[in-house]
This record gives sequence, C-alpha cells and structure tokens, in this order.
Amino acid sequence: MNPVVEVSHLRKRFRLPLDKSTTLKYRVTHWRSSSRYRDLIALRDISFDVPPGQFLGIAGPNGCGKSTLLKVLCRIYKADAGSARVNGEFSAFLELGVGFNPELTARENIFLGGAVLGLTRAQLRDKVDEVLAFAELEDFAEQKLKNFSSGMQVRLAFSVAILAQTDLLVMDEVLAVGDASFQEKCFDAFSRYKREGKTIVLVSHDLGSLEEYCDRVILLNRGEIIADGPAVEVTSAYHRMIAEHALATERDSPTELSRGDPSQWGSRAIEFASVSLTDANGQRSHRFDTGGPMTLEMQILVHRNVGEFVCGMAIRRADGLLLAGTNTFMDHVKLSSDAPGRMISVCYAIDSLPLLAGGYTVQVALEDVTGSHSYDHADPAANFHINAMGAHVGMLEMHGRWQVAHDQDVPSSDAVRQTAG
Amino acid sequence: MTVATHDSTRLEAIPRPRSVFQRNLNLVRELSITNFKLKYTGSALGYVWSLVKPLMLFGVMYLVFSILLKAGKNTFDFPVQLLVAIVAWTFFTEATTTAMNAIAGNGDLIRKAYFPRWILIAASTTSALLTFAINTALVVLVTFATGNLDLSWLSLLAPLYYLELILLVLGLSMLLSSLFVFFRDLGHIWEILSLVLFYVSAVVFPFKTVYDYSKKLADIAGLNPIAQIITDLRHVLVSSTKLPSMASLIGPLAFIPILISVAVFLVGFAVFTRLTPRFAESL
Repeated sequence: MNPVVEVSHLRKRFRLPLDKSTTLKYRVTHWRSSSRYRDLIALRDISFDVPPGQFLGIAGPNGCGKSTLLKVLCRIYKADAGSARVNGEFSAFLELGVGFNPELTARENIFLGGAVLGLTRAQLRDKVDEVLAFAELEDFAEQKLKNFSSGMQVRLAFSVAILAQTDLLVMDEVLAVGDASFQEKCFDAFSRYKREGKTIVLVSHDLGSLEEYCDRVILLNRGEIIADGPAVEVTSAYHRMIAEHALATERDSPTELSRGDPSQWGSRAIEFASVSLTDANGQRSHRFDTGGPMTLEMQILVHRNVGEFVCGMAIRRADGLLLAGTNTFMDHVKLSSDAPGRMISVCYAIDSLPLLAGGYTVQVALEDVTGSHSYDHADPAANFHINAMGAHVGMLEMHGRWQVAHDQDVPSSDAVRQTAG
Repeated sequence: MTVATHDSTRLEAIPRPRSVFQRNLNLVRELSITNFKLKYTGSALGYVWSLVKPLMLFGVMYLVFSILLKAGKNTFDFPVQLLVAIVAWTFFTEATTTAMNAIAGNGDLIRKAYFPRWILIAASTTSALLTFAINTALVVLVTFATGNLDLSWLSLLAPLYYLELILLVLGLSMLLSSLFVFFRDLGHIWEILSLVLFYVSAVVFPFKTVYDYSKKLADIAGLNPIAQIITDLRHVLVSSTKLPSMASLIGPLAFIPILISVAVFLVGFAVFTRLTPRFAESL
C-alpha cells in the first residue's frame, strides 16, 4: 500500500530580515542597500513515510522544528527543497477554532468553521444540532461566541474540528483542553479514530500521551530526526536527551545567578545573591535520588530596608510544567529585612523528594506581603536531575502500598446472575 | 428510523464534497456573508449605513458641483449622472480598501489553515459587490420612479462595463493585498491615490467638460479606466443620445483604458501568485 505521508529530503529555512523594513518609504529611501537576512534553518534533510493506519507522534524540545514540519505537511509553508506529500484527504488541527469569529453566534460559527474544513452549508445544515449536542451547547445556539467561556469555545471548536471525514489527521497538541468530562469525550473520539484505522500525525510535548496512543514516534532536535521508532524506545531516548542537556548546562553554568540574566526581573530592593541545591552532606549538587533529601539554599542581599517580605519557590519539569510551589507566607514563616547591606540566608529543606527520574528546574521569587510587588524573581534559578533508579514510571513517587487479601469467599457465577436478575 | 434526540456522546464525521471547486465556492460564500454581516453588525440601522454613505456623498457633491459650481449645467440630467458615478466609485474604493487588509488581517487563517489564498480576495470583493448590488437596485428604483431612467438597447452593454470595473477591482485588490503584507504604509499611499483618482475620473463632472477645455488633455485623462467606465456607463444608462461615449470623444484611444483594466488584472494576479507562498511566514 502507498504511504499516506511521504516526506523526502525536506528542507526549510526562514529568512529573518535584520533590518525590519515594513514600509515602502524605507525601501525607497534605502534602495541602494540590499536587505540583509539571517537564515534560520528550521528543517534539514527530513525523510520519513507514514503507512496507512499508523499513529505517528512527533516529539522534541521547543524550536526543534515540529510545528514547521506540520505546517509544511499541511501546505501552509512551502518547502525550500525536497518534498512533503500527503496522498488523500487530510484535516489539520493546528489550532482549535480556526476561522471562528467572536461576533457570530455558535450556529453561524459552525457554518464558518465547517467551510474552512471544506464542508458545505447544505451538508452542515443537517448536522448543526448534532454538533451543538456533542459540544453540550444546545441552549446557546443563538448566543454570540464572544459571550462564551473559554471552555465552551473549546468544546464548540473541537466538535467542529472532528466533523470532516479524512484519511489523515494532523494535530498540534490541541487535546489538552477543556474540562475533564469533555476531555474524556475528546479522547474517546481519538481512540475511535485509532480503531477505525485512520492515519494520524500528532505533535506533542506530552510524552505520556505519545506513549499511550502512538505506534511510532519521531524525535526531532534542531531540525533533524535523531530517533525514529516504537513509541516507548523513542520517548526514553528523549528522557536521556533532556538529562544530558541538564548535565551539560550544569557543567557550563555556575550556581551563582549571573546579573543581567533575562530570566530575572524585579525591583531588586532585596535580591538573591546566590541560589543553590545541596544534598544530604550539605554539598552542592545537581543530582539527587528519589526519596532522598534536597535543600534549596538562598542568600538574600538587602539593598534597602523593605520590612516584611515573602520568599517563594517552585519546582518545574524541564518542559515548564509546574509541579509544586510554596512560599513563606503560605507556610506562616515571617521574614523581614534587616539593615541595608546585610545578608539573609533562607533554606527550604525537602526530606524525601517525591520525584522520579527526569530533569527539573527551580524557580525562586522575593515579593512584598501583598504579592503585588516583585523584588527579585529568577526562573530557572537552578536545575537538577533525579537519577534513574527503580522501575516506577511517570513523574511522582507515590509511596503507595499494595494490599492483597486471599481469604475472601467469591460468590459463584450463578449467585451473581441471580442477584443481577 | 429517525432519532429525535441526538446522541451527545458520538459525532459521526461527514465526507467532504468531491469537487474542490464546490468547496472553494462555499468558502467564498461563507466568508463574504460573514464580512457583510460583520460590517453592519451592532449598528442600529444595519444595512442602511451602506446606503447612507453614497447618498451623503451624492448630496454633498450635488450641492457643491451641480448647484454652486454649476458643473453640469450644459449637460443632460446631471443628478442621475452623478448617482451612477458615485455608486460605481463607492464600490471601487470600498472593494479596494477592504481587500488591502484581506490577507494581512486574516493572519490567523493563513497561518493555521490551508485553502487557496485567492478565496480571501474573492470573498472581500463579493461582500463589496453585495453592497454595490443593493445600491444599484436602489438607484434604478429611484430613477425609474422619477422617470429619469432612459434605457435603450445600448443599456445591455452596461454589464460589460461593470465587468470591466470588477476586473480592475480584482486586479488592484490582489496587488494591494499582497503588497500590503510587506509594506504597511501602502494603506496611506492608496488613500491619497484614491483621492486623486476621484477628481481625475470625472465622477463629479461630465467628462465632456475636460474635452471642451482641451482635446489633448482629454486624450490623456481618457486613458484612466475609471473615467472611461463612468463616461460609458452614463452613455449607455442615462442617455445614449445626449451623452457621449468615451470612444466618440477620444476615438480609437478608448481601447487603451480597457486594455489597462485587463493588464492590471493580469499583473495583480501574477504578483499575488508569486507572493502567496510568503504570506504564512511573513504574517
């Protein structure tokens, strides 16, 4: 069978103009100087095929070229060299609600969004009520979209998006939307596609859902395919890549915050002089174990006496997902600045880290007690890595216990049938 | 069997129509209806506004040029001439100014969905045509009621001149919309050019005035497609006997403006097609 997607030696670069000339006047007055560009290579020599019925995931860090690849597939961007062919009809969900207009009613938006998907008014007329029912918006058919909550808008958009029957679905992380019950509906629709043997290309950050749904995952980095194979193998390669990256930055960057860092902001009336992570022996480290201790040590330099203030911290996964966070105000710890020029040392000690293997970052902040004024803020202020050990999967160590009881009587199947009847 | 209530847990997908042309046509229709609706939404008078503008322009122009300056004193039925011209001119400026933003103002659609990009131009022109059709119907109704409509067999040529106007508008729309993506000062430039065009296109005076003043000047001014279209529309719609056609004033040169309209369309199309692949990256 012919592959549904054929990508061969695909290259794409973006020309970023160095002098942004968006006026004719500029071009006329600077006609002598040829425009200067900086080339950004988004995709270099990408080749792969997707056979019918395959569920392909595409993963990679930000800026690796995933979205560009998707847009070339959908013919939104033109390839510079090589080719990207889709054999058959395809639907692209690069974003939900493309073509929707906030000034129109839900009903009108179904016709408009449907038209962008290639469906005609005559086809949609019989379908409108069904779409509204699926989106749980029957009572809001004649309401303007701008008056909808974001959840309602997403439900309508998703319901329209899955309307067109296609051979290939191309999706860019649009599934993590809506409330829990609607999300379940989305995943149902999603599993149905899979059962029906549709070909799907999904771009996602969420390695968990890639592992769950995809037959195959392609890992992109800096515009190149660095791994291509069964989902679990590639996602663990991705985990390794994140870990290596964390190690590399550990070697490169000292723990002390460098001034003028763009990730740092605030008025600096009081500021972090240093932020570091220490292990059980009080030694600075970037590698910790699940269940082991970790202490966040912060030295705060007082430039001006600001009175009472709050110190906060948060831990994020390498991709930015907030895992945990707290501050001295929430935990009823009083902090106030001494005379200017003094140093205050604050520690946050974690006795037993509940995190599993992976790369994480630490964010720290100094604010006033109302939380409205920021003195200093650094994200990431430090990063660390949890060593892989044990066989548990996911992000968290739950410290749970299995309990098994053997001595219970099981009712016979006849008894079950009788009670059921 | 028909099911009265919809199963809210399942939504069956429907196949798209096979004909790509049908899909594109449908999208043009949906987008132009939306444009038209949005333009007048939220205003108490709605579509009436689309009439107020040309009527206002007509009123002021009539007062200033016909009554105060007596621009049409030597010509036949100047108010009707003015009406025909103003309706055509309003379509020209509205269509070109809205089309200018048809690409740049739809960045979200262009970056997130694939469909042929000319659809956006077709849609913006179609919604301007809707207003134009309503205005024209009204002018016909009014002039017919007052007995000022002087139709003859020649009037059957009017659709051809309107077609020429649409061709010119489409060409300029493609040109302006694609260049506007890269040159944002084009909006101001076009505003000034339109103002100049308004006065050199014989909207507010009969073209015969230019001819009577200087034949040489008429030979040059007559090359302007809008002047030609308006003059010829007046000839075939208002009075074929009392108002001259462009050809009767400047002779065989009258073919040139028609050629210019076709050329503008072709150049607009070429520029648009060439720049289309760069839209998504530049917006």
